[in-house]
Amino acid sequence: MITEPLVKNYLTEHYGDDSFRTLKGYEAKNGFDGLRKAVSMEPEEVVEMVKSSGLRGRGGAGFNAGLKWSFMPKGNERTKVLVVNGDESEPGSFKDRLIMERGPFQVIEGVLIGAWATGASKSFIYIRGEYAYAISVMEKAVEQARAGGFLGKNILGKKGFDHDIVVHSGAGAYICGEETGLLESLGGKKGQPRIKPPFPAQHGAFGLPTTVNNIETFSHTSFILSRGLEWFQGFGTEKSPGTTMFGVSGHVERPGLFELEMGTPLKDVIAQAGGVRGGRALKAVIPGGISMPVLPASQIDVRMAEEFLSERGSHLGTGGVMVMDDTTCMVRVAVVASYFFRDESCGQCTQCREGTGWINKICDRIEHGRGMPQDLELLSDVPKLLEGQTICAFADAAAWPVQGLMRHFRSEFEQHIEQKKCPFPDSFEI
Amino acid sequence: MPKITIDEKDYEVADGLMILQAIDDLGLLMSGVDIPHYCWHPKLPIDGSCRMCQIEIEGVPKLQIACNTPVKDGMVISTQSERVQTARQGVLELLLLNHPLDCPICDQAGECKLQDYSFDFGMPAGRTKEPRRVAKKAVDLGPTITFDQERCILCRRCVRFCREVPGTGELGVFNRGERSLMELFPGTQLDNDYSMNVADLCPVGALTTKDFRFKIRSWFLDDVETVCDRCSTGCNVYASRSNNKIYRFVPRLNDDVNDTWMCDHGRLSYKMGRENRLESALVGGKPASFIEGLRKASDLVRAASESGGTIVASASPFSSNEDLFTLRKLLETLGAPPATFSVPAGKADGILTQAEKAPNAEGARALGFQESDELAGAKLGIVFGHVLPATALTQVEKWILIDTHASDLSGKAAVVLPSRVVTEKDGSFTNHAKRVQRFRRVVEPSWEAWSEGALLQQIADFAGLDGWSEPWDAFAVSKRLCDEVPAFSGCGLTELGFCGCELSK
Ligand SMILES: Cc1cc2nc3c(=O)[nH]c(=O)nc-3n(C[C@H](O)[C@H](O)[C@H](O)COP(=O)(O)O)c2cc1C
Ligand code: SF4
Ligand code: SF4
Ligand code: SF4
Ligand code: FES
Repeated sequence: MITEPLVKNYLTEHYGDDSFRTLKGYEAKNGFDGLRKAVSMEPEEVVEMVKSSGLRGRGGAGFNAGLKWSFMPKGNERTKVLVVNGDESEPGSFKDRLIMERGPFQVIEGVLIGAWATGASKSFIYIRGEYAYAISVMEKAVEQARAGGFLGKNILGKKGFDHDIVVHSGAGAYICGEETGLLESLGGKKGQPRIKPPFPAQHGAFGLPTTVNNIETFSHTSFILSRGLEWFQGFGTEKSPGTTMFGVSGHVERPGLFELEMGTPLKDVIAQAGGVRGGRALKAVIPGGISMPVLPASQIDVRMAEEFLSERGSHLGTGGVMVMDDTTCMVRVAVVASYFFRDESCGQCTQCREGTGWINKICDRIEHGRGMPQDLELLSDVPKLLEGQTICAFADAAAWPVQGLMRHFRSEFEQHIEQKKCPFPDSFEI
Repeated sequence: MPKITIDEKDYEVADGLMILQAIDDLGLLMSGVDIPHYCWHPKLPIDGSCRMCQIEIEGVPKLQIACNTPVKDGMVISTQSERVQTARQGVLELLLLNHPLDCPICDQAGECKLQDYSFDFGMPAGRTKEPRRVAKKAVDLGPTITFDQERCILCRRCVRFCREVPGTGELGVFNRGERSLMELFPGTQLDNDYSMNVADLCPVGALTTKDFRFKIRSWFLDDVETVCDRCSTGCNVYASRSNNKIYRFVPRLNDDVNDTWMCDHGRLSYKMGRENRLESALVGGKPASFIEGLRKASDLVRAASESGGTIVASASPFSSNEDLFTLRKLLETLGAPPATFSVPAGKADGILTQAEKAPNAEGARALGFQESDELAGAKLGIVFGHVLPATALTQVEKWILIDTHASDLSGKAAVVLPSRVVTEKDGSFTNHAKRVQRFRRVVEPSWEAWSEGALLQQIADFAGLDGWSEPWDAFAVSKRLCDEVPAFSGCGLTELGFCGCELSK
């Protein structure tokens, strides 16, 4: 999946080098410089530095990582825990996999920086079960780190800086990527998000104070520490500094991952992936994984950072860019998305459990020529019932794609209902 | 204490609580503040999943659930805003998507939260066209409960109850999304001593007790506050009656006694009043009219007292404080020693049931009665039934038995007078924790029977004893009891209220 020499990269700079996955190879590329820098500072200073770097979580919500670290309780009365979210189940998203497979020590170093900063003595890397290879690479790296003295007691000779990492395999459920669903699953329970309060910083994994960050989020921190704020903020936008890994899929010539600056114009991201396949016309782009509202071709002159995408009614999400050409039936897109959300809802909240199924049935019958005129009203009403009213953001994620598609492509839904069939015979199969 | 505003009215609520709990603690959920809810139950861990209790809080962009949002001083809450109404209507519409339109044949109709809230807050008409989720009908979950899976709205109250209260955890929600189904864990049965509580907890007609199912429509019932007499806990219950017949007991909230639970054994004890009853007096083992019985009994009392012969009495821990007090007074009048009593023993389960399987042993103790399994030798015994075996009476020449049910004692007594079970009279019991609790007459027996106290008064009056002419009345006796026995002061029937009072030290 590795692609071209990248425009500007630091995360993926050495991903072509196999030895980068060994402790020795990692250290040879200035590995653990960030951690060394961190332990030369007071923990609060590290939290402050990450906070003021403006690093935003890369797991989808874009929350300031240092600010989240600062929610951890001070003092050492209770064991504190870090959880690394490598569940990556958002359709269209596949960046964390590459990081784990090619840069596992970046994750470990980031975790150790977080551990120093928050006083966590234990961490869990929760990786989606299907990522068997990533799991084995991470496990080997953790073993090597332990053997090399980077895990265990008195790390880097710092008295009392103890930490160990457990690599944990998920069992294949999208909802186990939601941070509290993940914590339940990690504790051996059914993966169902928790109500808040209490928040993870007070009552997280196994009831202990916990911070959850995405794989990529942790990976950026070593660079912030080793190279400094100014350097880091030289990438990206003011509100969204750094690079990120855009995963481009769909109707492009060269699908793949591209590490680019936050704020890169969407057009350039698509160009990196070789442009729309066969020179066809672009119809629409989902900019941040299937949960995010679609942008029609007319609106793709947008920079890829949350502050710009939200102006267009969409979001950066996980940076999974899904490109659709003019053969695509947008109702089918809705059907595919709605099946996913129907199947993956954990089923606790009334709106999500019942609403995802209903949306799916409506989309499905429209696509198959059995739609009724009143279905259009339902498709604009039902997603509203799901939005912002549930335990976790899954229900929003289920509502947004349909809302986006209805907003920009309502006429296609109408056509299906009028013609009693799908007017796009060349569209992808479902 | 934080001050909050709900629908433009100010309230002061306890600190550190969730909004719904705080409001419920003030008694407002019943009157004044209507926050509909399904998954929340005051005695179960918060679930926060039905999303029915959403409210709008000033300055908070999203609607919040009242059951899991802590109160904060100065909070301004709307339970009626348009957004709240729309959200509620949405939840109801979605719940009904997969809910069968069973009301006409559903036992819960009339006391169903889905039905009630749909009328109060729902859509005028459904918009769903698709077939409903297929699920099981009338599944046996165990010996006591039938489950209509189609009707389940997945609030998980039953699941949490089985985990938290009996600790048996037989139930779970399996699968996910719209395929979620509440089920038994494979290889288990819902078979614990508290299983029937799930039927009360279930807000819809998904869980019903086999005992009550299809017996009567709920709107024909009216509920009378009373207490269970099967052990010394004295769980607070409602007895639901119609046409002089009790159809069920359901537990009634009392934080100091039974939260809102009761054991299955106690719940089914409403039937005890129906079977094997003594429906007439017996004289020398043969049926006799009530008056004949009364005459015979008073003759025996008069004879024993005039001949200076000893009279002993055995009280029952199933009798009310008022009945026991009457016995005490009679024995005083007769110059007889205080009564003894004996308590049937069983096991305490650490949840609700106590080892003393009678409701009023503490009352008997507070009245100075001594525990003993045998009656001392005497010319005449006055025996309240239920408890003693016939062998305990070998040293007594003759005895008058006052009892509700036929037993091996009834044939051997000189006279038997029929008395009333707990659901047929007024009075109070003193439970194991010395809490005096009122029970009420729910039904009338269709033959002549009186409470033990009333029978004693009539015997004494017929026997011509001084000061016993006034007809017996539980309330008047209760008042005298409170005046004369200091421990009972403040524990009169009219003072006990909904939850009872503790005996004074
Ligand atoms: C339905 C759902 C699925 C999610 N899946 C993932 C995931 O697979 N990986 C991830 O890192 N975050 C996922 N998240 C976001 C996490 O809840 C959480 O915000 C994130 O792990 C925090 O890390 P960050 O602040 O570093 O982004 C998901 C959120 C939702 C609502
Ligand atoms: S929103 Fe959906 S996925 Fe999230 S907790 Fe509720 S039911 Fe589960
Ligand atoms: S059976 Fe009743 S109590 Fe149990 S989850 Fe379903 S609706 Fe709730
Ligand atoms: S615990 Fe005792 S008082 Fe309560 S219902 Fe059971 S038998 Fe009756
Ligand atoms: S009662 Fe609050 S969410 Fe169910």
